[in-house]
Amino acid sequence: MIEESEVAGSSTLGDGDRVVLTFPARGDLVVLARLVASAISVRVGFDIEELEDLRLAVGELCLLALQGSDARHGDLRLEFTVSSASLDIAGTLVGAVPATARRSADGDEANELSEQILAALVDEHGREQEDGSVRAWLRKRRKGPLA
Amino acid sequence: MEQEFHIEERVDRGLPVITVAGEIDVATAPQLREALHGVIAQGQASVVLDLLAVTFLDSTALGVLVGGLKRCRELGGELHVVVTDARIKKIFEITGLNKVFPIVDALAEVGAS
Repeated sequence: MIEESEVAGSSTLGDGDRVVLTFPARGDLVVLARLVASAISVRVGFDIEELEDLRLAVGELCLLALQGSDARHGDLRLEFTVSSASLDIAGTLVGAVPATARRSADGDEANELSEQILAALVDEHGREQEDGSVRAWLRKRRKGPLA
Repeated sequence: MEQEFHIEERVDRGLPVITVAGEIDVATAPQLREALHGVIAQGQASVVLDLLAVTFLDSTALGVLVGGLKRCRELGGELHVVVTDARIKKIFEITGLNKVFPIVDALAEVGAS
């Protein structure tokens, strides 16, 4: 279920604006995170290259948040926070339980690649356990001042 | 409008070619893994992966490709990748996989790589 998204109603997003998207933590729904990231990128004034970078990065952020948990029973909550200096995105997996099996045969390889992709595309990123939930985050700084 | 995910298999000049269209991500990568492993399991050591119509590719997809490459090389073959889209090439570059996979711009160049 999409809990909240106010992207469509505004032409721009500025300092202090926040968008929250919550959806069942399933791989086939990560596309929703990419779509919202694209819409937000346009509204904060990122150029097409930055938009493409962020679209890829937010997908990797979702994968990192889902990593190591059986997410079938949980939700992924994404919070996009706009500031004059950057766009911050935090993904929190809530209501999931630890996984009893690996994500896939190629999972370890993909996790390493996720880290490499995020390191190349965003300015800062991380992943931590927080109150029993997994939280992954990234920061993409603006090239110039807020439009 | 985004292209629907689609996989086709065929043979070109004796080499199996897997053509993928659309977005390869955590949701669709398992279908690519199944196709790749299926072709290799038939005894094909070298496979061509045509990504010319792919519009998005994430780490899950790259993980599948790396797994496929390892299997091909274990059999003495190669996993050739055909791609021209600059955004897709960039993902190979930032992960260093452009130096691992033989990447060409067109199917006709595979033999020359």
